[in-house]
Amino acid sequence: MKRYHIVKRDLLTPGRRIVFYLLAIAAALLLGALLLMMTGVNPLSYYFKMLTIGTVTDSGELSRLAYKQVENLIKVFVPLVLTSVALSVAFKMKFWNIGGEGQFLVGAVAAAFIPLKFGVIGNQALTLLLMAAAAMAAAAVWGGIVALLKVRFGTNETLMTLMFNYIALYFVALLGEEKAGWNVFLDPESQRPLFRSVWDFVTMPAITIGKFSLSWSLLFVLVLCILVYFYLKKTKHGYEISVVGDSIGTAKYAGMKVGRIIVRTMLLSSALIGLAGFFKLTSAGPLSTSLTDSVGWTGIVVAWLAKLDTVGIVITSLLISILRFGCSQASVTFGAVDSRFADLLQGVILFAVLAADFVIRFKIVKKEEA
Amino acid sequence: MAVDFAVELKNISKTFGSAAANKNISLSLKQGEILALLGENGSGKTTLMNILAGIYQPDSGSIYVNGEKAVITSPKDAKRLGIGMVHQHFKLVDVFSAADNVWLGRENRSYGFRERYKAEVSGKKGIGKFGAAASVIFHAAGFFVSERLLKKSRYREIEEISRSFGFEMDPKKKVYHMAVSEKQTLEIVKVLYYGAKVIILDEPTAVLTVQETEKLFGVLRQMRAEGHSIIIITHKLHEVMAVSDRVAVLRKGEYVGTVETASTNEQKLTELMVGHKITLNIERPFVEKKKPLLEIRGLTIENDEGACAIDDVSFYIRGGEILGVAGIAGCGQKELCEAIAGLRKIKSGEIVHKGENIVGLAPKKIIEKGIAMSFIPEDRLGMGLAPSLSITDNMLLKNYRDDNRFSPFVNRRRGRADARTIISELDIVTPSTETPVRLLSGGNVQKVLVGREIETGPNVIVTAYPVRGLDIHSSYAIYDILNRQKVSGVGILFVGEDLDVMLALCDKIMVLCHGRVMGIVHAAKTTKEELGLMMTGALNLVRSDEKRTGIAKDTNIKEQPS
Amino acid sequence: MGVEVLTGFLYSLVVYNIPLLYGTVGEIFNEKTGSLNLGVEGTMAVGSLFGYLVGCWCNSLLLGILAAMVFAGLCGLLFAFFTVTLQANQNVTGLTITTLGLGIYYFVGHGVNKNLGWPSMQAAANVAAGWKAQPIPLLSDIPIIGKAFFSHNIFVYLGVLIAVLSWWYMKYTKAGLRMRAVGENPAAADSCGVNINRYKYAHILLGSAIMGIGGYYMALNISGEYLASTGWINGYGWIAVALVIFAKWNPARALLGTFVFGIFKTLEVYNDSIVAAFPKAFGWLNAIPLKVYTALPFIITAVVLFAGSVRKKSKSNQPAAVGVNYYREDR
Repeated sequence: MKRYHIVKRDLLTPGRRIVFYLLAIAAALLLGALLLMMTGVNPLSYYFKMLTIGTVTDSGELSRLAYKQVENLIKVFVPLVLTSVALSVAFKMKFWNIGGEGQFLVGAVAAAFIPLKFGVIGNQALTLLLMAAAAMAAAAVWGGIVALLKVRFGTNETLMTLMFNYIALYFVALLGEEKAGWNVFLDPESQRPLFRSVWDFVTMPAITIGKFSLSWSLLFVLVLCILVYFYLKKTKHGYEISVVGDSIGTAKYAGMKVGRIIVRTMLLSSALIGLAGFFKLTSAGPLSTSLTDSVGWTGIVVAWLAKLDTVGIVITSLLISILRFGCSQASVTFGAVDSRFADLLQGVILFAVLAADFVIRFKIVKKEEA
Repeated sequence: MAVDFAVELKNISKTFGSAAANKNISLSLKQGEILALLGENGSGKTTLMNILAGIYQPDSGSIYVNGEKAVITSPKDAKRLGIGMVHQHFKLVDVFSAADNVWLGRENRSYGFRERYKAEVSGKKGIGKFGAAASVIFHAAGFFVSERLLKKSRYREIEEISRSFGFEMDPKKKVYHMAVSEKQTLEIVKVLYYGAKVIILDEPTAVLTVQETEKLFGVLRQMRAEGHSIIIITHKLHEVMAVSDRVAVLRKGEYVGTVETASTNEQKLTELMVGHKITLNIERPFVEKKKPLLEIRGLTIENDEGACAIDDVSFYIRGGEILGVAGIAGCGQKELCEAIAGLRKIKSGEIVHKGENIVGLAPKKIIEKGIAMSFIPEDRLGMGLAPSLSITDNMLLKNYRDDNRFSPFVNRRRGRADARTIISELDIVTPSTETPVRLLSGGNVQKVLVGREIETGPNVIVTAYPVRGLDIHSSYAIYDILNRQKVSGVGILFVGEDLDVMLALCDKIMVLCHGRVMGIVHAAKTTKEELGLMMTGALNLVRSDEKRTGIAKDTNIKEQPS
Repeated sequence: MGVEVLTGFLYSLVVYNIPLLYGTVGEIFNEKTGSLNLGVEGTMAVGSLFGYLVGCWCNSLLLGILAAMVFAGLCGLLFAFFTVTLQANQNVTGLTITTLGLGIYYFVGHGVNKNLGWPSMQAAANVAAGWKAQPIPLLSDIPIIGKAFFSHNIFVYLGVLIAVLSWWYMKYTKAGLRMRAVGENPAAADSCGVNINRYKYAHILLGSAIMGIGGYYMALNISGEYLASTGWINGYGWIAVALVIFAKWNPARALLGTFVFGIFKTLEVYNDSIVAAFPKAFGWLNAIPLKVYTALPFIITAVVLFAGSVRKKSKSNQPAAVGVNYYREDR
């Protein structure tokens, strides 16, 4: 008689782990291909279109608007990578900040408030700086409250951040509907309530290389990623985060002020997400309830796929951005496939990777009975 | 025909990760006996019993119940085979009532169609076969549903059942309102109610008072008289002698042997437990008497449940002195250590370090004063280490702030150097300094913990169970480290389990019993028997003592003019 | 006029919010066995789409309901397989169910719309007939209340019945007791011989299937028109997650909570008519921005959640092991 049971196993080598993950992603793409075939779409040409994000025309040449597509990809990538990195900071501490959506929106609202209320302050650069600061501060407060409640009363942060997402979302919706003297967010020209773009006052500067303009936001964000990497790996704060995430008892024993560390880390995490909101606002136009483009949710998936590793997050964000943006581009050519095929694919990939995780963490032991 | 053995375990092995908890163990339990399973902490007793109870799956080996080969893959299987276990950490649903906790595992009874049908035919004349069958089916449906409902009558039923076992309990009382002994009673009722013939108790006396322990033993004897077979896990010899018929001994995951209790004594059992006749060769270097470093006066501490854990305790530690703390497990040792380290609020009293009261200081400040605390809990990883972090990072745990206060960076170079030092000094087996601590074996984990405490260069070391589960060689390495610290003028509070070790290593020994000091004696002038009597509360030297126990003559504390 | 407005308000209150009840009761089944399933939104979306398509194609309301339950149940199976068997993180798994479920909704919905043509609810006569209101004799004749509460389609009655039965099941049956134990302390339930995995799987599946019916309801309630931008569920799943907290994990309170939350949702639509009908009593409603009503359920839930955490642990009603996976051999 044979019996099977599951036991935890020692760590596999990194090489073998990567092989498992690659297999998982391949399996997910294969499943996606099958689905595409069922709708009568050639999966290879769809995937090609997706991966080239519309930079290649149907006749196989480089599109004249290819630079525009890259710019648009960057607009998708910047908020996502920053949000993912910010979330990973909280997750490292095992603090379930699923409130990225709300913190993002609150950040964007605060950023928009500065120019819409006061116009250009000093010059463009100063205004942008003030906007970024406002975004970070507001989002930090929004996330910090939850951390404070968690520390003080043990309030479940997963559910609380979730509620805060929707409170923020409907606050933005409210701003978009109420025409009133106090509401500086709406376009005064328009009869119907319509969000006013901050572009009326400020634009994010960019480096122009030929036709292509490289937004400063990308450079800022990449620098921030590097800083976060060092923050987590090399600094005392980063060290404290990993100890608290591993064992709160041990952290207390070592004399760490656990409550303060949790609040501080959450302030940082949500401030960075607010900053992502600022970047999105200055690159993608007026406020709206769909401004986040779900980065608060997608960021969780990205952080998890990358095992909370900062470098991994940058790479994964890029791939997921290509997937999402690529699908929207591909849907132009392939009318039968909705652009949100990306959601489906993203979900399947994550499940495949979670399955691979299981194979890596556990092994099934066969027991031979005498 | 009854089989001789209620349970036989054959060649059971179990490893966790790379650490072997049970190595090829064979053990048998006779029908209607109380078998004590004896062994030091970390000898694999609980693991073995968890395998029998279906919590763990063995890697190899087989189990026979009543002579028949049994497959136990879950607690449900164990329950079906009549095996019940009372775990050390009770497995009760806090928000449920006592009755519901029992009812939870109640199997639905089967209806017994045939008997009912017969009764129906003979009982009601003239009903006919068809009528009887219809009536039975009607009743069966009602019975089927009623078995699956929660009815008020369950409270009465559970109360009556527990009374029939000889326990009084309030079936409606919620578990979170219960005292520890009540919870234990509830666990025993549960096991009996599920029809267990084999009952395993894991360290049942650890949480009980002396009177409660006596009462429990009475219950066990009665259960034996009623035909139950019992395994009691313990490491307390006097309890083994008091209650068991036979004793099985484990040592470091291996089976040593089984002896009749009547034909043995504590000395022989100790030898079995530790492996050889104890000729401890621990040095006790002589150090010149120094001023008291740490003085504790009238300390009272509450435990997590709000009961008094440490009751009006006074003692002091001089530099260059090892003060042992002896006592039965759970006598306030943990609370005392935590209070000194600033991790637990005290109710009253003073903790004075070099003349300065440190009560209320943050743990960080206390660490900075040079007071190091290491507490090895039973699961070894609970306090003091971050299991997923590397040895290097764990070395930095207490001093990562110190290097350069204004630098935001962690100095891992120093952590790595410290890690290398303790790896070589304590013979820690590890692939590298960057290996996560949880991947090390138990003994090596402990060496990391104790090694780090010493590396921080403290002037007071509080260490609890530093050799828990370690082999002799590693234990001696730890004693040696402590002695070296002592010679260099450090004051050491050594909370231990093994009296022989404490007699050889410590300068003085303080004995606690239920949070009270029973006396502070010179290790060279006392005996194991005297300590044992004090631990159980039978002897109290404090009362007979003329001078005030635990108060230094050359104290640093400025006496309040009274 | 006032009476009509009041009746209409109460009627809409029921009609528009019954899906919340399904979602909430379904989520309670999940959370009571220790599974914080954040995939409600996706599960309901999948249930709604397949329920609607199958129902229309087969011209059978019953098959529609079954399909909604089966496909939503598959989402539950996915969640259970990953969190129970594979021990994956519940938050991430649940959120991914939501992403995946919405992805499936759009992918399949879009595909059907483009390739096969969208089936019309009116063309499926049996579905349309089954959706008609079935007034309860006598009770429906009571003024105001009769029209508002007792003249609905069968889904409304079914939803209330499911909520009441679930409440009874959790409180008065042994399986309910065991299920609660699994969510409170799986190790204790395990040691009593309760099969943890079976209980988790069964209740996650059951709960997800119930969510599916709620999704199907939402599809029919807008006459099955394919919504390519917002989708049919449009956040109801998330309100359900909130409602579970407001209902303190009790299906009977969920019934009450559905109407409390529902008042706000309905006010969004009825604000003007109520003010017009009762200018004296409710004139002040005009001062409240409509989106405040939308946000209120979440604000209230946040307050309830906070209040629950301030109270003693034993009184907060939150299953102690919610969100935590159980692995027996963990030490």
